[in-house]
Amino acid sequence: MPELSVVGKSVVRLDARTKVLGKEEYCADIKLPGMLHAKVLGSPHPHAKILSVDTSAAEKVSGVRCVVTEKDAPKKLTGTGGIKDMPILARGVVRHMGEPVAAVAATTLEAAEEALELIKVEYKELPAIFDAEEAAGTNPPVIIHPDFSNYRVTLHPDRLSPERPNVFTHIKVYKGDVDKGFKESDLIVENRFVAPSIQHCALEPHAAVVCPEPDGSVTVFTGKQGLSRVKEDVAAAFGIEPYRVRVRQQYVGGSFGGKNGTYEFIPTLLALKTGRPVKWVMTREEVFVLGGPREGMVLTVKDGFNKDGTIVARKMEVLVDGGAYAEASPGITQNCSSATICMYRIPHLKWDGYAVYTNTPKRRGMRGYGVNEVAFAIESNMEIAAEKLGIDPVELRRKNLLREGEPMLNGEITHSIGAAECLDRVCAAIKLNEKGASEGPWRKGKGVALGNKYSTARAAYCGARIQVTENERIIVYHGADAVGQGVNTVIAQMAAEEFGISADRVDVVFSDTAITPFFGGGSTSSRTTYNLGNAVRRACDDAKRQIFQRAAWNLEAPPELLGTGNMEVYVRGHPERKIRVKDLFSPYQDRPRQIPAGGAGEGEEIMEIIGKATYRAESIPDDPKTGQLDPELAKQGKRFMAFYTYVAKAVEVAVNIETGEVKVLRCCGTVDLGKAINPKTCEQQLEGGMAMGIGSALYEVTLMEKGRVLNPNFADYRAPLAAQMPFNENMKSIFVESAPHKDGPFGAKGFSEGAVTGTEPAIANAIYNAVGVRIKELPITPEKVMRALRETYPSLPKRGKAAKLLIQEDL
Amino acid sequence: MKQLIKLRVNGIDEELYAEPWWTLSHVLREELNFIGTKQGCEGGHCGACTVLIDGKAVMSCIYLAMKARGKDIMTIEGLEGENGALHPLQEAFIEHFAVQCGYCTPGMIMTAKAMLGENPNPTEEEVRAGLSGNLCRCTGYTKIVEAILSSAEKKGN
Repeated sequence: MPELSVVGKSVVRLDARTKVLGKEEYCADIKLPGMLHAKVLGSPHPHAKILSVDTSAAEKVSGVRCVVTEKDAPKKLTGTGGIKDMPILARGVVRHMGEPVAAVAATTLEAAEEALELIKVEYKELPAIFDAEEAAGTNPPVIIHPDFSNYRVTLHPDRLSPERPNVFTHIKVYKGDVDKGFKESDLIVENRFVAPSIQHCALEPHAAVVCPEPDGSVTVFTGKQGLSRVKEDVAAAFGIEPYRVRVRQQYVGGSFGGKNGTYEFIPTLLALKTGRPVKWVMTREEVFVLGGPREGMVLTVKDGFNKDGTIVARKMEVLVDGGAYAEASPGITQNCSSATICMYRIPHLKWDGYAVYTNTPKRRGMRGYGVNEVAFAIESNMEIAAEKLGIDPVELRRKNLLREGEPMLNGEITHSIGAAECLDRVCAAIKLNEKGASEGPWRKGKGVALGNKYSTARAAYCGARIQVTENERIIVYHGADAVGQGVNTVIAQMAAEEFGISADRVDVVFSDTAITPFFGGGSTSSRTTYNLGNAVRRACDDAKRQIFQRAAWNLEAPPELLGTGNMEVYVRGHPERKIRVKDLFSPYQDRPRQIPAGGAGEGEEIMEIIGKATYRAESIPDDPKTGQLDPELAKQGKRFMAFYTYVAKAVEVAVNIETGEVKVLRCCGTVDLGKAINPKTCEQQLEGGMAMGIGSALYEVTLMEKGRVLNPNFADYRAPLAAQMPFNENMKSIFVESAPHKDGPFGAKGFSEGAVTGTEPAIANAIYNAVGVRIKELPITPEKVMRALRETYPSLPKRGKAAKLLIQEDL
Repeated sequence: MKQLIKLRVNGIDEELYAEPWWTLSHVLREELNFIGTKQGCEGGHCGACTVLIDGKAVMSCIYLAMKARGKDIMTIEGLEGENGALHPLQEAFIEHFAVQCGYCTPGMIMTAKAMLGENPNPTEEEVRAGLSGNLCRCTGYTKIVEAILSSAEKKGN
């Protein structure tokens, strides 16, 4: 590969200056003339029949322009993950607390709030079910969607589970014969793990502004992760022609998967009814409930090992609590299985993943889309097994890792797996085998874990347009979502590299469905660098072809012999024969009539150079009965996922044996990302991901009781603050580039989700290393640590100075 | 009943009609168009709304606008120098890659300014403790702390 001059450099982010000035506009900052403010009335019950709704008093409040209920809303049920089960406003029944029942648009927020309180809804409470395991049975006491068989469902019938009335997805990955495998195993290790619901906690609350246009079309301003889908969803729901729905991306204050659902329906409804722009900004409490917490999971892992440490069989059952509506949970349940498919060699596998309805708020996939919970389970189990086998846990992992060219557990051929190097480097960085000395009641320990994150190929195709202007600048048009992760900077670098210019000569247009190309699936699944990068590079090639075709006449050389750099076109080998790109635009060149690139009419001068391309990562489907790929196609190298990125995390913790408190002293992350397009922005993502992992390992949980979220605010839900993170010198980010992806742009894969993966099991393993207790339920709170310490060390007195003395003896 | 009040924001006297229950963040954002002050929660927990009042960091979402009368209010917009010159803290945040989604950034910078105003040479521990009213979900704080420490070193406050 020729030496790179922009890609691989830590170019300063294009959006940083605007943001330090506070000038960027998020949705909540938008002010349009005549704009109304929306408020939404949520259900106070987790499961109830709606007997009547009386909005008459609300409508009379001064400033109120419109009050809507389900009778005003589109009739079609919606859903983002293949099951359309969710009404836009509750219809006859509410299935979770906070479910929207009515909405108000008024000239001031205060008038809207006043009106909300005057909406009279009569409910008849129904029995509700909150426990996922209870709800998943074949004869549950409550069936949440009795009408399920009438819903539009695009999941394959083999991925449904009709014998369990509340289970809406059943994913199977079967390989070999696990019973035989367990019989042959020397050691079986079986454990149950719980990773409860947590929250995305993007600093910017969900918001959208919908503006009806004079010509009957609709403009949706939104801060979104998944722009293209909003247009389709809104058009389909309201019966508007898709070309008449324009969705304009604003700056987004973080998303992490939380802004991936379609919450634009309600402001669209209000905007269409009132004929005025309507802004809806969720309160933080609404974000915690209605925005959608993450799924919660209960995972049982049963691993069979030979005494030399090779894994023989794995049986896993994963129960995903999807809340009251399916939304993203089918995809989460399916995709999280990849965490076990792509990493270790296992001859026999039986994986059953179930997604179940409960009367709790509908869920929204969060950074990792289920793999973090799976990694917590399997990487904790590996460590437990290592001790029982008497084998070093790092060795145990290394020996079972898949290698390049080997089939994964679904038959897909492993390609681009830097897991071994990740493991080696993270262990070296944390000095894994050097245990820190105790300090007072603090016991130190170190732990490591592997992880991985796939990126889907299905439906992930995208377009890119490159415009070369006569000001010697490149403009990139793309429909991906800049949610804070640095997309535009990385894309600008790739375009700059293609043209041999500096990144500050590249402008990126804000995603806008009227202007920018399609980006399938949105910037989720860590897919943007890979898919958009490829599309942008091809679009650059297209633009360069046009430039060379034109310059060929000026330079009297065939187009194949031309090159470009620094906005000049030159003849290769004869750099003195050159012309500035901007001079190609001049209309006064007396060009001979020719068919210009782009097929415009004969003899016409083109005033612009626009290169365009589409990229689609090819893939083959899996068999819904077994999760296996067609063996013949797989052997040919056809893929199921676009790529897999491997990560390793290592942490040093200090555990206080008097209080159970756990502090993370050091945190190292290694990522096999193929190629770091911008090393500093990669660090940004990895550091943020490790913080999120520390949060979910130790502090974060959506507390729910009888369907009510008990901690819907930042005081009671503890996302980590600066004082809870390790000091700067103790945070290490290492990027492994020894396993580039053959189809990735410059070899790059994506890893913004893998940035989190593996942190939770590394911490659980470190705690075990420190004090010998194994916590299998997240978050690992001081109470859980103390309870485990007392169970493990029965002579531990309940309190007092004696406790310290006794503990020092035992530990 | 709205009252006519005067607020001094970024050195300029602003006159407006305000309800007595309006928060300072509402007035700044909705009435005076200083959108740089963000709102991330309603309870003074996340710090996105941090402004300076007489040099001290304040959560404007739980601070009544009325109470700010007669005081010097500074928002992120007040840091910009002449001809678009950036404050050293702003330069530091850019240079050290301390900005991702940007939503916490104005609040972080204002808190840092107040912090360095009181303690021009903080230790890393002091910086982290000083940020206990500012939540960030994107960065993990590492580069924000780096930016603030480097800004303190340069004594550019």
